[in-house]
Amino acid sequence: MSENVLHIDHLTMRFGGVVAVNDLSMDINRGEIVALIGPNGAGKTTAFNMVTGVYTPTSGKITLMGQDITGRRPDEITKLGIARTFQNIRLFSSMTVFENVLTARHLRRTSNFLSATFRLNAAEEKRMRQETEALLKEVGLYELRDEMATSLPYGKQRLLEIARALSTQPKVLLLDEPAAGMNPQETEELGAFIKLIKDKFDLTVFLIEHHMNLVMDISDRIYVIDFGKQIAQGTPSEVQNDPAVIAAYLGVDEEEEVSPA
Amino acid sequence: MTEIKRKKLDSATVISIVIVLALYVAVFVAEQFIPATSMLFTVIKKGATYALVAVSMNLLNGFTGIFSLGQAGFMLIGAYVYGIFTIPVISRMDVYQYYNGGLVQFTLPVFVAMLLSGLAAAFLALLIGLPVLRLKSDYLAIATLGFAEIIRALFQWDKLGPITNGSNMLRLFPNFNDFNIRNADGQVVVYLSTLVPLLIAGVCIFVIILLINSTYGRALRAIKDDEIAAEAMGIRLASHKRLAFCISSFFAGVGGAMLAMYQTTVQAKSFTTAMTYEILLIVVIGGIGSVTGSCLSSFLFVACSEWWLRFLDQKQVIGDFEVPLLRNGFRLVVFSIIIMIVVLFFRQGIMGRKELPDLIRQLQGKKVKGGASK
Repeated sequence: MSENVLHIDHLTMRFGGVVAVNDLSMDINRGEIVALIGPNGAGKTTAFNMVTGVYTPTSGKITLMGQDITGRRPDEITKLGIARTFQNIRLFSSMTVFENVLTARHLRRTSNFLSATFRLNAAEEKRMRQETEALLKEVGLYELRDEMATSLPYGKQRLLEIARALSTQPKVLLLDEPAAGMNPQETEELGAFIKLIKDKFDLTVFLIEHHMNLVMDISDRIYVIDFGKQIAQGTPSEVQNDPAVIAAYLGVDEEEEVSPA
Repeated sequence: MTEIKRKKLDSATVISIVIVLALYVAVFVAEQFIPATSMLFTVIKKGATYALVAVSMNLLNGFTGIFSLGQAGFMLIGAYVYGIFTIPVISRMDVYQYYNGGLVQFTLPVFVAMLLSGLAAAFLALLIGLPVLRLKSDYLAIATLGFAEIIRALFQWDKLGPITNGSNMLRLFPNFNDFNIRNADGQVVVYLSTLVPLLIAGVCIFVIILLINSTYGRALRAIKDDEIAAEAMGIRLASHKRLAFCISSFFAGVGGAMLAMYQTTVQAKSFTTAMTYEILLIVVIGGIGSVTGSCLSSFLFVACSEWWLRFLDQKQVIGDFEVPLLRNGFRLVVFSIIIMIVVLFFRQGIMGRKELPDLIRQLQGKKVKGGASK
């Protein structure tokens, strides 16, 4: 088996009496694209929030490349190599496309506020700008670099969120419903894009998604959860034919999306 | 400045710098020829002081999104530290007449004392920032407001008299007029009493501009835009907020020292909440998130309140006609109306989020009449 990057061990999250995530265990290996799916309210985003440090799990352990990151602050976890995007886009609204991506370089700085203010770190600032330009070219946003982030069309904003996450130089990229609100063509392009950046930036991708076509198309493995509990896992074709998965989805409106077609 | 910076300097930025420098030259020349008692210089001196404090407040409220109302408290600390350490030793017996000449029996150079004013304010900001910065929006504003009130009361405490002179005022320390260069007979050769405060404020504001445009400035703006996203991008919220709070307080402290020089006396009871509101008003009128706006509006604000609207307070007679309503206090009525108009119709303030170079870029090469920026 290939090298294990992210290991989630019996993770449980309780909000008062509600168990949002119940005893979830996952293994994500280097270079994989792993999807976490499940009906609405199944606890997918809660799982993400625990991995990225927004919530401290009630119990369980999260390990990133052998290092225990359970309950660490979000900024520390990002520094250690997990970057994320958000289900509802959260770009820096007062900034341009370029500045959004540039700001995400801040965490790799070596300067302190004095050397940054008095420009003693000119070389570093220059390097950050160059790297940002290069990154924007690679993701195809270079032409839009001076636009305000919020003035971009919806699909481009999603792309910019991914670019911003990439700018933190992650090892694992967490995408929270990257295709939400996209039309079928945009979704297809997004799938190709995710595969492309995965190879280019040597990433491991962990995503939550409702567009089953996309999930089945790009994922190496899929975990399915319902009511916070894992109900199935495996390759796309295994999961598609799993009776537990079909049952979980049958009760809701998304049945036709998950049935093998 | 550095290489990349020079590469980035476009014509608009260069024009802005030239405008600001030209204003400095104009002030210097004017000072030599116009009598020093002119209202113009009073306005510039106080305006420069307020501009610095307003920009420091803007750094917090406009760029970091921390709604703090402690500015008067930090100014008070700056003013007192400056006063305490610069009163000449021979004058201390007069100033601290009820406290046996006070505890401090040495004098620091003016600029060292100013630096110390800033550092003292920044250090206090560090201490109160630990608990206070955990709060958000309104709660933070109330906590910082309360802190400013506590400081004001504390500095008037009789037991601290040997240091703060209790509720009595500090005086006889060097003020702006001491920047004038005099000959042996004590006659002023070169007037600098307006230029130097303007320079001090200019240098401080320039440093703030540099900070805002550095990687730290971007991080602060990111926090203002979206805390959750900023944290997810690896920006540590606590340390960056604390940094902004301390830097803002540092410059508020320096501003306090300048205010002490402007007033020539310091008394704790004058650093009221109303002073913070004045600064807040300047920031809002200028445009939250615009340094240029804060500078412009502080000069306008000071000019209106101290000079241009003064005639409203006196009886005015045109020919045989005595203008009704004009009497003591009417100025404030007009002033309030102007502010209401600004808030209603220019909700973004004078400048919005734009800076001087943006304005020039907009005008695209047309002749620009610059305001009193920086």
